[in-house]
Amino acid sequence: MALNHEAPDRCPMQISFTPEFASLLLKDLKMGADKLHNPHGGGNTYELERALGEDLLLTSVGWANSYYQGAENYVDEWGIGWRSAEYTTPYGNGYYTEINQHPLADDRAIDSYQPPDPTRPELYHEAEWVLKNFKDEYWIVGVTVTTIFECAWGLRGYERMLTDFALNPDLAQRLLDIPYRYHLTAAKKLTQMGVDMIWIGDDVGAQNAMIISPKMWRKFLKPLVANFIAELKAINPQVKVAYHSDGAIYPIIPDLIEVGLDVLNPIQPASMDPVRLKQDFGDKLCFWGSLDEQHTLPFGSAADVQAEVQTRLQTLGKNGGLILGPTHHVQLDTPMQNFWAMTNAITQTPYPKPKSYDRGKPAGIPAREGNMK
Amino acid sequence: MNEEYSALYNAILEGDVAGAQAGVQAALGAGQEPGTILAEGMIAAMKEVGRLFEEGEFFVPEMLISARAMQAGLTILKPHLLSSDVKSAGKVAIGTVKGDLHDIGKNLVALMLEGAGFEIIDLGVDAAPDKFVEAVANGGADIVAFSALLTTTMPNMKVTIDAIQHAGLRDKVKIIIGGAPVTQEYANQIGADGFASDASRAVSLAQSLL
Repeated sequence: MALNHEAPDRCPMQISFTPEFASLLLKDLKMGADKLHNPHGGGNTYELERALGEDLLLTSVGWANSYYQGAENYVDEWGIGWRSAEYTTPYGNGYYTEINQHPLADDRAIDSYQPPDPTRPELYHEAEWVLKNFKDEYWIVGVTVTTIFECAWGLRGYERMLTDFALNPDLAQRLLDIPYRYHLTAAKKLTQMGVDMIWIGDDVGAQNAMIISPKMWRKFLKPLVANFIAELKAINPQVKVAYHSDGAIYPIIPDLIEVGLDVLNPIQPASMDPVRLKQDFGDKLCFWGSLDEQHTLPFGSAADVQAEVQTRLQTLGKNGGLILGPTHHVQLDTPMQNFWAMTNAITQTPYPKPKSYDRGKPAGIPAREGNMK
Repeated sequence: MNEEYSALYNAILEGDVAGAQAGVQAALGAGQEPGTILAEGMIAAMKEVGRLFEEGEFFVPEMLISARAMQAGLTILKPHLLSSDVKSAGKVAIGTVKGDLHDIGKNLVALMLEGAGFEIIDLGVDAAPDKFVEAVANGGADIVAFSALLTTTMPNMKVTIDAIQHAGLRDKVKIIIGGAPVTQEYANQIGADGFASDASRAVSLAQSLL
């Protein structure tokens, strides 16, 4: 990371933005930009992230890049159709991209379906460029999120996919395999190229409970996640793997640890208590995210934001093991003063040296337990 | 649970569409009252689905397939219900607010309410305030229910309540809300009559308000 042989002087930080917030921020920082900002990192110039003092740079390959491709309707290379949904905030308007067409809604379409090719060299040019220019100073994350379940339901339809799990498990498995293979190929390539971490995941948690049962997750998704991680670590035993799921996924965290997960993301605090997570899993997992975007960032005061940063540092980040930032892309409804309160609090709060820190450890080889260096 | 309806009841719990349809046919064939088939075989089953969901044993897939089995049975039963003058538990107009396209929660609430004997007017996603006003003014809705997944679309909840107020209809209807970022506190703030954190609790809430 940005830390070259020194103990982290403050908690590592990672923040991503919706394109509209990125524009606003660039204006605030008096920086120009001619490209649409990708919240997942693929294709960005990273000037914004670096100007803010972020420690992680994201480079994305895969279906997650289909989000935020434009204001007009479009069909992505998987055959999934997108429309835009406009929203208004006190600080400006923006649009989300939402799926409105599922190419595999019809069972008969599955046999003949061809996913895109994950081996195309052009998919990896950005990662190449990022690694070449920034590997020494930043923690480079290869992003292959929406890894299995999300892309599968994008292809199939959300309710249909969920009922497939219950009524047609063989079909469900075939559907999951399609994005699984694609993203595994991409993640392996990114690992070979030398990224520090691979970020995978699927939203399997709702606000208060899982969307599918832990049993169903263990049946359909756990073996795939286990193999995914194993194949990456076979290429590079030092590569770290982070898993993303929104919401409440407490029951499957021990399973994730069991299959070799290093970092849990995004730690949605209104769904899972960060203090409890640290208590129960802090010796085995690092945490990434945790600043609330359902209440604090959009609706709290700047003082609330600062207080939340301090609380996380003292609890979730005690003795290290935390990459701090908002749980999701910063949206336009976050007041600019809250955004700056957050980033200033993170970058200006000194980080007590973790107990286990060993000055002799070379940079770029973080300890698995607790401390991300 | 009455033994005569156990086949139908279990078919719904298992998400067995064919079994639910057969169960309804068999009960009708045996001369059972449509209203009792509904109450003992179907509403009772969906109540159990709700309980299992609240207890953390049923999740979204199980709810969806149970609700579909119930709906399949209800399609067969409906003409018989109408002709035997069975009243619904109430009419609910439901949708996601303007700008919000996320409907899994809304769909589950609609399914569970239907499973409890309510009549549903589904306004779909991205429902403008005037659609809700219309449902009260001309559609006979007793309850208006809306949800938002996003902090950016949440403000349209107040806009919708204001539109109902502005149309002079606020005291004619009960308003209930839900969605991931929504809280009881928020519901109180914007003048909703209730908030529910999941589809099963939405049913209890609707029943308590009428």
